[in-house]
Amino acid sequence: MDEVQLLERFLMVGALLFGIGLVGFLSRRNMIVMFLAAEMMLQGISVSLVGWGRFHNDWGGQILVIFILAVAACEAAIALALVLMLFHRSGKLDVAVWQSIRESNQPKFVDQQLPEEPAAVEHWPVLPQSGVEPELPVEEMIHRSHV
Amino acid sequence: MTSLQAIVAASVLLGAGLWLLLPRGGSTGRGLGALLAAIALGLFAYVVVRIDPEHKIGDAVFLLLAATTIVSAIGAVTLRSPVYCAIWFALTLLGTAGLFLYQGAQFLGVATVVVYAGAILVTFLFVLMLAQPKGLTAYDRVSWEGMLSAATGAVLVGLLSAIVFAPPPVEGAPSGSLAGAAAGRVSAADRDAEILSPQHMAHLGGQLFSRHLIAVEVAGTLLLVALVGAVAIVAQGKAAAGAAALQEGRQHG
Repeated sequence: MDEVQLLERFLMVGALLFGIGLVGFLSRRNMIVMFLAAEMMLQGISVSLVGWGRFHNDWGGQILVIFILAVAACEAAIALALVLMLFHRSGKLDVAVWQSIRESNQPKFVDQQLPEEPAAVEHWPVLPQSGVEPELPVEEMIHRSHV
Repeated sequence: MTSLQAIVAASVLLGAGLWLLLPRGGSTGRGLGALLAAIALGLFAYVVVRIDPEHKIGDAVFLLLAATTIVSAIGAVTLRSPVYCAIWFALTLLGTAGLFLYQGAQFLGVATVVVYAGAILVTFLFVLMLAQPKGLTAYDRVSWEGMLSAATGAVLVGLLSAIVFAPPPVEGAPSGSLAGAAAGRVSAADRDAEILSPQHMAHLGGQLFSRHLIAVEVAGTLLLVALVGAVAIVAQGKAAAGAAALQEGRQHG
């Protein structure tokens, strides 16, 4: 296959992954989803690096992706410890809770009031009743051989 | 339609589609957003893929993998329930692992599945299960500045792809800015001997533990430091929470 075209394809996929991850990181408010988006940006970089490595017949691209994996693992460990601590303090995964640490010249974010969304009604499968309900052995159930 | 026009149109459509898809309190316009994003992805595919009759199956495999990756990435970013986000992100990871295999990077394909999808993502899901309140919370149903961030992403994607597919600045140069840069510098035989060689792991390990040995040591240290840091964060947070509870108890008692 034409190697130039192969590189172009992978650069395009990498750019799309990076851009979509950026949109997610900027716009979402749930801290865990923000970290997922950051990981997605790392994936976009990895795809481009592997493409360049193949194009130039060089192992550097793949080696760098291995290091990206190591750094992503570190990042995930620290990020999740932080998220858990923040959740224990505020009871929410919302980043807007922590807006008091923003720059002093930034305006305060005011949450808009959303209409309550009705909870979806869940339909569980039901078995048809048949036969007679057996008598429960109450004595046996509450019996304790030793106290 | 030239490549540049298609890229501009696709970026605009992608931005509009992402904006409509992002959570905005209601669910109006999500179908339209999905349609716009799908058209944008089709345009990107039109720019990138020139079907080669000799490699029809390879092209089809690439298109399938790329579509899986990008569509699930959009799902992971725009869905409202964080658990669904994590699951769609797992599909993105599987798609990228397939793309790595398509490039001949076998070790990375497997490592992505094992390390990312197997370890990191499962840890994310654990934390979600520990921390997620019941039902959809208000902060999952709205996003910050959805339009601005979608526009930022669309501009970035448009610029990056326009750099790759820009018309040649010099008359008579081969089409595409990359083609002129390295046409024919690396032969197919070179690639078969190095990056596509059957002894993939041997070559990769050789490179990793000779030329990049110091970097490997540094990465190991980094992992240790991250471990200690995570433990320290959790321990300190626990201590602070305990002190706060104690103080509250004193105030009440």
